[in-house]
Amino acid sequence: MDLQQPGRSADLGTFGEMNIRTNIRLLFVLFIVAVPIDVRAEESALLRANFEARRQRLIEVVSRERDRSFNTVTAKLITGYDRTWALAMLDSLTRDESIGGMFYSYSAIGAYLKLHDQLPDSLRQKIRTAFRTRTMYRGDTENHWVMYYTGLYLASQTWPGEDRSQWFNGKSSAENFREAEGWLNHWMDLTATIGQGEFDSPTYFITFITPMLTLYDFAKAPAMKKKAQMMVDLLFVDYAAEHLAGNYCGGHSRDYPEDITNPLSAPAALWAWLYFGQPETELWQENRYRPRNRGGWETIFGATSSYRLPEIIYRIATDRSSPYVHTESKRVRNVIRFGREMNPAVYKYTYMTSSYALGSLQGGILQPIQQHTWDVTFASDKANNTIFTLHPFYSGKELAMFFPEEQKFLSDEVDRYHLVYTNPNKWNSSSPYEQAFQYKNAIIVLYALDDRAEHQHIDGFFPKNLDSREVDSSGWIFCRAGAVYVAMYPLKPYEWIEETINWRWRSKERINGVVVEVGSKEEDGSFEKFKSRFVGRQPMAGTSAGHSVRYTTRGGDRMVFTFNGTRALNGKAVSFASYQLFNSRFVQSERGSGVVRMMYGKSVRELNFKTTTVREWQQ
Amino acid sequence: MAAVELLYWFVLLQAFLGGNVSFSDGVGPRSESGQQYYAAVFLNRSHVSVGASANIGLFRRDGDSTWANIYRPNLYTFGIGLWKRGSTRRYYVAGGNGLHRSDDAMKSWRVLTDWRTEEILSVAPDPVDSALLFVSTPWGVFRSTDDGKSWQRAMRGMKKNYVQKVVIDRSDRRTLYACVEDDLYRSTDQGEHWTALHAGVRDVMNVLQNPLNPRHLLVGTEDHGVRVSTDGGMSWSSGGGLPNTAFYGLAVSSDGKTFLAGGYLTGLWKSTDGGATWSLLWQHELLEAIYTVFVDPADPHHLMVGTSGQGIFESYDEGRSWKHAGLRGCHVKQIELYP
Repeated sequence: MDLQQPGRSADLGTFGEMNIRTNIRLLFVLFIVAVPIDVRAEESALLRANFEARRQRLIEVVSRERDRSFNTVTAKLITGYDRTWALAMLDSLTRDESIGGMFYSYSAIGAYLKLHDQLPDSLRQKIRTAFRTRTMYRGDTENHWVMYYTGLYLASQTWPGEDRSQWFNGKSSAENFREAEGWLNHWMDLTATIGQGEFDSPTYFITFITPMLTLYDFAKAPAMKKKAQMMVDLLFVDYAAEHLAGNYCGGHSRDYPEDITNPLSAPAALWAWLYFGQPETELWQENRYRPRNRGGWETIFGATSSYRLPEIIYRIATDRSSPYVHTESKRVRNVIRFGREMNPAVYKYTYMTSSYALGSLQGGILQPIQQHTWDVTFASDKANNTIFTLHPFYSGKELAMFFPEEQKFLSDEVDRYHLVYTNPNKWNSSSPYEQAFQYKNAIIVLYALDDRAEHQHIDGFFPKNLDSREVDSSGWIFCRAGAVYVAMYPLKPYEWIEETINWRWRSKERINGVVVEVGSKEEDGSFEKFKSRFVGRQPMAGTSAGHSVRYTTRGGDRMVFTFNGTRALNGKAVSFASYQLFNSRFVQSERGSGVVRMMYGKSVRELNFKTTTVREWQQ
Repeated sequence: MAAVELLYWFVLLQAFLGGNVSFSDGVGPRSESGQQYYAAVFLNRSHVSVGASANIGLFRRDGDSTWANIYRPNLYTFGIGLWKRGSTRRYYVAGGNGLHRSDDAMKSWRVLTDWRTEEILSVAPDPVDSALLFVSTPWGVFRSTDDGKSWQRAMRGMKKNYVQKVVIDRSDRRTLYACVEDDLYRSTDQGEHWTALHAGVRDVMNVLQNPLNPRHLLVGTEDHGVRVSTDGGMSWSSGGGLPNTAFYGLAVSSDGKTFLAGGYLTGLWKSTDGGATWSLLWQHELLEAIYTVFVDPADPHHLMVGTSGQGIFESYDEGRSWKHAGLRGCHVKQIELYP
């Protein structure tokens, strides 16, 4: 059974004006009456009903908002609530050039297509005129290009056959369509074979998923519509495999400090609420997660889309009945200089359980500005449910690897926008002086700073709301967050700095590292029992063959890790060469194949980007 | 002398405080030849969501310190170019989203490239063949032989992709120079093949050719000052007296006697011996960097510098005194005098 319902209307239909609680009751009654006896079918129907209830709830909530965006305009015009205000806002948005080109282009054409029949001709004409007179900036990142080319594709499809004078870039409708189609196909093929550059971003997830949903809803060419649907599937299953109770776990390419230190505040969490039903709490009601002024109503693009999540992805996102290792490979964003290859591979390793996830990237510079290399994230009702360490690195040369401007200016310029890039206390960073080696719920993170590092320290984030944070005389730091336990062994001396929401663990030793193991009540019993398993279990650090650590986990696995050297597990070298695009019991894809296979129980769903086909079967 | 210095500081103070400094010599924005000054303004990266008032793109000087934004091609504008023959003019803008061209005196523009040829860092139209175009990009030199309809990568012989700038030899249109990540390269067959000139430095940012001696070359680098060759790139030496920092802007007077170089946290430098030795001409503590240096072909006493974030400064006395000339807050990447 599948939640996919192609062609289903995106409007609220009969339920549009009704109270959400009434809707849920009615849907439940319908469900009780209509569903067959088959239990699985009942479950599937309930999942669909719950999704319908959530999406209607979201539309209704957003329709009551008055923030300046296409999102609220869309919700209001679909529900009919506050129609006059919505039309006035839309009129205002057609004139407002404060919205960047790429953000504007896809959301303007998306709103136009969604709301076409409800818009007066004058407003439709104003949106059309915007694509002639307004500069639709293309930007300079992967998410910018996805938004820009989706907007250009749909706009040139909507107004075909027009000559060069009718478009902002002096190209005809046909030329614009061809270019947008070419780039979108290129990006989809790249993503399905060697992964995204701005991969697994809790912050930027919205800038990929909303254009793809819009493309799926409105692309007229069957092949593009199908590929857009497959991309939405791919983006969702990529998220689902590392999803825990609304949290996007594991290493991330780009993440903002507030989302790293408070994972449920990330925009992706609202998408988890809508599609995965987790967390159950309505995030916008919870100031600790998502202050209302942060907006985030792009989710309306999902709530009003005809796309329906395949049930298998929902199952992958929510079944944490037994732990599993999930590995992925992605790509570094285009390296334009100071590198040997254009898109070096990124290797991800994530260990998922029902109560926590430990995830990491291999380390090094894999993405400029906002990399998040490793963390443990625990399912919790509390905010700031994560622990991690990092080296706060910045460098004009790092940025110049990816951006074409003069390298001496890049740090300052990035700082002006991202505010914290050069800050010694920042919580997001790539660093050439940081490398990680993870096996299941244990990780060794090594640091080897040299004179060129501007900031000569390593930081760790420990939330203040932990139930326990103890420094043991053995050198281990033990933490408890509900039923999740964390043990961290710093290799060198450190200090604790008290901050508003956290304790900052800081070590100023340059040749450094931490060994971390994560456990839980389910795995280890009591916290005391967990702690007792580390008695006499100190990592052995050495420098004779480089900066190296030997450690035997509480599960008996022997890990040996040398900075810029080998990673060995139980005497055998670990090679990243064997990493696939996806590899776990839920998702598999051979790197370069363009074929992504999702598996849950006996169900299989296969996306074949080489043939643009989707197959489903029972094993 | 003290009075001159006082005037100098007064002018600078006025400039930075936002005052308009007027001069009595009546020099206006349009040169005596009727040509006009244009500037390429690059957007500060801080403005991803950019408003209508953002100062980016192509500007034309309208007044003593006012410039009109006549085209906003993209967030990132790296350079400008011109092709002229008889009464025909073709204006180019090198932008992050491609190469833009206007054939109708800048009334309308069109993008000539697509996503496969992007981040255009410089443009060099062949001076004779209007259909022959070269652009430099982080992905190499691209060449079009059909008026921009199609583009081919022209990289044979290059070891690195990143090409900051491509220029055509002043004396031989078949010869091109390319500023590449690892060296200065030359092609003598219009981009078919390239040869490294072993300038002894990496991160070549700019190249300048003496108008009177095509074998006399200067290159500006990211970290190693200015390198000079007087034998067509056979041998190189470092410009004496210059700090080992970035030099982005290079210019030479039309008589080939005075060379100027501006860079990062170092001010504007002058050489009257072909680049062998240099002396500091102008510096100000508020100036972070000079991106471009312009010697007015219509008036060799008239100099302009495009800066990082401080707009344009100009001097009408060969650099002895300076005034702010507009585009405050802008990163000015190139200044030209075009018909």
